[in-house]
Amino acid sequence: MEITNYIEAERLHCVLCSVPEETLETVLEAFDVTKHYQMGQTVVRALDGISISVKSGEFVGVLGTSGSGKSTLLNLIAGLDRPTSGALKVFSRDLAQMSRHELSLHRRRNVGMVFQSFNLIPTMTALENVALALLFAGVPLREREEHAHALLDSVGLGARQSHRPRELSGGEQQRVAMARALANSPHVLLADEPTGNLDSRTAYEILELFAELNARDGKTVVLVTHDAALAARHVSRSVTLLDGRIVEEPRSL
Amino acid sequence: MIAVDISRLAARNLREAKLRTALTTTGVAIGVGALTCMVSFGVGIQEQLFGQFLKSGLFDTITVASARLGIGPGMRGRPERAASPNAHGGAKAMAPAPLLDDDALKKFAAIDRVREVYPNVRVPVEIKYGSFSEFTAAAGVPMSARNEGVFRNMSRGSFFPGDTADACILSQNLADRMAEGDAGKLIGRKVRLSFASSTAGSPEATPFTIGGISLKREEKEFTIAGVLESGPSMGFGMLSPVMIPLNKAMEMGVTDISNPQTLLSQLSDRRTYGAVTVKVKRPEDVDEAEKKIKEMGFTAFSLNDAMQGAKRGFLLLDLLLGLIGSIALTVASLGIVNTMVMSILERTREIGIMKAVGGDDRDIRLIFLVEASIIGLTGGLMGILLGWVVGRAINFGANIYIQSQGGPTGDLFSLPAWLIGGAIIFSILLSLLAGSYPASRAARLDPIQALRHD
Repeated sequence: MEITNYIEAERLHCVLCSVPEETLETVLEAFDVTKHYQMGQTVVRALDGISISVKSGEFVGVLGTSGSGKSTLLNLIAGLDRPTSGALKVFSRDLAQMSRHELSLHRRRNVGMVFQSFNLIPTMTALENVALALLFAGVPLREREEHAHALLDSVGLGARQSHRPRELSGGEQQRVAMARALANSPHVLLADEPTGNLDSRTAYEILELFAELNARDGKTVVLVTHDAALAARHVSRSVTLLDGRIVEEPRSL
Repeated sequence: MIAVDISRLAARNLREAKLRTALTTTGVAIGVGALTCMVSFGVGIQEQLFGQFLKSGLFDTITVASARLGIGPGMRGRPERAASPNAHGGAKAMAPAPLLDDDALKKFAAIDRVREVYPNVRVPVEIKYGSFSEFTAAAGVPMSARNEGVFRNMSRGSFFPGDTADACILSQNLADRMAEGDAGKLIGRKVRLSFASSTAGSPEATPFTIGGISLKREEKEFTIAGVLESGPSMGFGMLSPVMIPLNKAMEMGVTDISNPQTLLSQLSDRRTYGAVTVKVKRPEDVDEAEKKIKEMGFTAFSLNDAMQGAKRGFLLLDLLLGLIGSIALTVASLGIVNTMVMSILERTREIGIMKAVGGDDRDIRLIFLVEASIIGLTGGLMGILLGWVVGRAINFGANIYIQSQGGPTGDLFSLPAWLIGGAIIFSILLSLLAGSYPASRAARLDPIQALRHD
């Protein structure tokens, strides 16, 4: 059985993912989303009323300084957290209304995440790290490893699959993380400062890879970065956050 | 997520912390070992004791007497009060009681699980050997007793050579008196037994009569086949100072003049017995058979009730030993909790990553529960081995001591299959219980917090 069949078979079971063609146009819609944290006595308004819409195939850059709330927004879209108020719809399903289980399915099937600190499991090889994402989807070991190998090949790391993260360079680690993000063939890629720990040359290569996935495979990419200059070369449009609000209207470049 | 993958992940996590896993597993092994050893001791002691009882042939035996007469000859047990209507007097006492005749014996033999039925024939005799002479009692012993209890290991000689042989077995006590200490030389010697015999219908002169029954004194020569060691069943049922083959005793027409019913039955053609022994296949069958015999209107008695009490006692002992053993296992399970909590602290970030790539709460919980149960299973298997080895060692040492004190040696520890299975299942269940708190703590981790964790 082809690996994509496993993923597709699982996807069919998921109401979340049975996406009607017409709604594919808008992948993500946020209406007045807020996220407040309690920090001791004070309430931190990480997001203070965000409304944004992302269409299928877009490459959106979310810019802003540290503490502007851009990572918080990405975590909400990823389903790692729930908004305090407002509606956050991915494929027309409101993440705010989902159970913990539904959110885990959303993370598994709809989105692939790439982090600044790579977040690879240090005791696992590159191959095992990529295969881990398939494990939770119930793909058997052999298929998992075949598919993980193919993914590593596609990011140019086929020869390094047996290496552990500490034996890989930063750029290589981020490629492994990208291969992992692609494992379950999600429609949306979410990247949180993916180039933050990389030198400029490697950073460029990683962004090129995102651009390629966006252009060639039609993946919708939401890229969080503080480096506006770097983002400007690849994104189709960008929004800038400040203190939890969008300060610049989304505009096409 | 597939079960195989959960196990693989769990095993991998355990391998990542080899020392800690080994120490925790050893703790569980010691706990299970202590538990196994303790219960194994209780079971072993019980088997030793019951084994001796069962060998005595007492616990598969029901002694039946006619209801009207209650206690029969040679039976030292108390009769069933309800079955002794004489105590109440009145019309009830006159109700016809079934006779313990050959028909009754056939009925007993037809009861399910009954192995053997034979009458208790026990008569007063005078035994003569040289100048020695003593009035005592002779009991008829069936050939099947050859493999039972005291007859299995006789101190001297052997069992009767045959059903109708003119052979007898003497009790150690009597033999000692006869031979003045050297009972060994008695084997093969002849003794003369004098007994009363009914002469109803016989043309011979009658020396005396009781209630119209003619009796005469008869004398017969017997060869001493063996001397019986005094055993736990001495004085009960068929055992008496002199034992002769049952068929021989019946063939001789020995009359038990101490039992009026037997005496009276000499007047009729139907032969009845004072008491009958019913043997069942297994001690567990006693209750059922005893109930059926009582339903027929006879008085029945067995030692089964006493055994039930002893069994209850041993169950309590096993529980107590199990509880003491469980203390070690409880301490070990706290070790599991500790190990798992540590493991979760160390792997917080990893748990966050698993959640970020789509791991469900349930998946995370299962990984940790499987880890705990692997510790439980491994510890359980090692513990049983440990418990067995310790039990063997103690048994070895204890038997050397017992032997030096002249006591009977035997296995003081027994490790039946149910104990092995039970110990493993208990160990796994306790591990799962110990792992359930850490596992749900891991499952409830906030992925964002977990990903930020260093």
